[in-house]
Amino acid sequence: MKYISTQKKAMSPFDREPGQIKASYTAHHVIEAIGQRLTKPLTFMEVCGTHTVSIFRSGIRSVLPPDLSLISGPGCPVCVTDQGEIDCAINLLDMPDITMATYGDMLRVPGTRGSLSERKSEGKDVRLITSAAQALSIAEDNPEREIVFLAVGFETTAPATAATILEAAEKNITNFSILVYHKQTPPVLEQLVKDPDLKINGFILPGHVSVILGHKAYRFLADHYGVPCAIAGFEPMDILLAIADLVFQHSNGESALHSLYPRAVRPEGNQKALDLISKVFTPCSARWRGLGLIPSSGYALKEEFAAFDALLRFGITIPTPKPPAGCCCGDVLAGHITPLKCPLFAAACTPMTPVGPCMVSSEGSCSAYYKYNRGGASPWKRSPSATEAADD
Amino acid sequence: MLSVFPEQNLTSNLEDCALIWGKIGVTIDSFTVSPRDFPGGDIGELAICGSANDLAVRGVLPRFIAMSVVAEEGLHMAELSRYMKSAARICEDLNIQLVAGDTKVVPKGHVEGLFITTCAVGEQITEESLGMDRLQPGDKIIASTSIGRHGAAIGASRFNLNPENLKSDCAPLWPALKPLLALKGLRCMRDCTRGGLGTVMCEWAEGRNIGITLVEKQIPIRIAVQSICDILGFDPLYLACEGCAAIAVAPDDADRALGLLRESSLCEEAAVIGTVTEDHAGMVALQTEIGGMRVVDMPVGEMLPRIC
Ligand code: SF4
Repeated sequence: MKYISTQKKAMSPFDREPGQIKASYTAHHVIEAIGQRLTKPLTFMEVCGTHTVSIFRSGIRSVLPPDLSLISGPGCPVCVTDQGEIDCAINLLDMPDITMATYGDMLRVPGTRGSLSERKSEGKDVRLITSAAQALSIAEDNPEREIVFLAVGFETTAPATAATILEAAEKNITNFSILVYHKQTPPVLEQLVKDPDLKINGFILPGHVSVILGHKAYRFLADHYGVPCAIAGFEPMDILLAIADLVFQHSNGESALHSLYPRAVRPEGNQKALDLISKVFTPCSARWRGLGLIPSSGYALKEEFAAFDALLRFGITIPTPKPPAGCCCGDVLAGHITPLKCPLFAAACTPMTPVGPCMVSSEGSCSAYYKYNRGGASPWKRSPSATEAADD
Repeated sequence: MLSVFPEQNLTSNLEDCALIWGKIGVTIDSFTVSPRDFPGGDIGELAICGSANDLAVRGVLPRFIAMSVVAEEGLHMAELSRYMKSAARICEDLNIQLVAGDTKVVPKGHVEGLFITTCAVGEQITEESLGMDRLQPGDKIIASTSIGRHGAAIGASRFNLNPENLKSDCAPLWPALKPLLALKGLRCMRDCTRGGLGTVMCEWAEGRNIGITLVEKQIPIRIAVQSICDILGFDPLYLACEGCAAIAVAPDDADRALGLLRESSLCEEAAVIGTVTEDHAGMVALQTEIGGMRVVDMPVGEMLPRIC
């Protein structure tokens, strides 16, 4: 109990020197404190894919009491990209002179007609980039081609896309457009918290997104829906402390939003980034893989930037194909089931032959279950989580 | 690919270096890297170290090398000769003789810049052949130096992150590993190239159907490597190394092995990082810093940077 106090001001048991938190005896104390304060079964959702990976990599699940379950939420940008959105990108790539630029694992996500990476191996021009600005430089360097930036990600990557659009407009670049698949985090959390089939007793909120949004955007979860929330960093210790905070809130009968990541997150967020977003985008409804259309959860380009909208420029629309038979990505993303319950998991769907994006993405929960849990065969698996028990 | 070759042709148990005719070790590898000049080395140096290290970890003194170069039309002669000079420098250091070579220039677009293939031949100087078939429960696993430096340096330059203190570990292993060959308890060694330490451990565990438990806290990882991993979302266990060997020794010889390694300036960070065990056969486990346990599995596909 040395590091976690139960007092109100306590949400700074965490005011320790950076580095100090790494000592394993500290982790041991936090784990012990969690066990002591847990009085009933609780299920927390880690919203962010980076948290999911950190939880698996550090073996957090193996040290938590069996009555405490962690479920992974829809916080991996690759996983929530709808199949129709991939299909739309692939249709676009079939048009002449198109170069498509996008981030990370997006290349491997299967649509109805294969993936961007398959198109690339057939000779289509698909580029892997690490920043929106790179996409724009490709456009500047290749004036004879049409460069389409497939923009995914949450509030963290949207500002960079916005800045790139502003730059493209200023430089009057005419061979550059984007497929805006950016998504907003708070609306999907509201949908989850309203879901009567899903009992989430606390949210571990994403650190990176919170750097941009600050605290206000999530307050409704605690204030209106009574669900304790903790904003967490990405070190195993950060996550353990967030879990401890949520357990403590329960045992104190509180529901509040606490930030355990003050070294990066300011309560007011990043105003510059927020301004960029609101300058270029306007909220629109967006389709989330497996979760359907969620109002005000996406970003559309404002009218004055319509020239950069790839959908308008090439006269195409996003189709709504049927998901592959048996695929449970939606249920996994919504936390209804763990990947182990998907009939395709580790059978038809593996990292080598992914059916859904949750298996493709390095931050997807299916790939984490597969990698760090050996498809469920890990001898260090804890007893089944409440969610698994529920759907037995 | 191998299925079409008659089985008796396979002599190596699929270790990277085959032992033939009693005491002859032979290996072949192709090298392509982007960028070709990376912090801490270049493709020429890599092409010699890579093959020579494959021999060294089997207790084979690298003696001869044959090299084949496939260059894309338009590659500058000056650039190529710079790589050849790097290659020659390593050969000279190790007293390796270049005995055969070939150069082809192919039309633009047929290869990306430059491919170098090297075949190294040498002489086994240990009495018994080192190989993973010698692994036994209780053996200690040693990392000869800190892991992931090559992969992190390449990743960093590819994504325009260039921390000053991050360099590839590309280096010949023979001088550092040679003293270990005298140890009776030396079981096997492997240079952790593509796929990193994690992959080598998985190959040993699966290949011999034994368990391996690694202790995260003991695995040497430099801060610069860890930072790149944090930024890009990589797992350092799977980052390529080009001058780091995984070494298995009988428990009684572990301290001696560490002492011998640390005498070499390349291996000052050498550490015992885990143990071979009878538990969890075929699986590699990692005891994490917070005291948890998790599986270390074979990596799949290329590591791509995370999005947010
Ligand atoms: S196992 Fe595959 S199909 Fe099933 S939910 Fe995961 S990604 Fe989707």
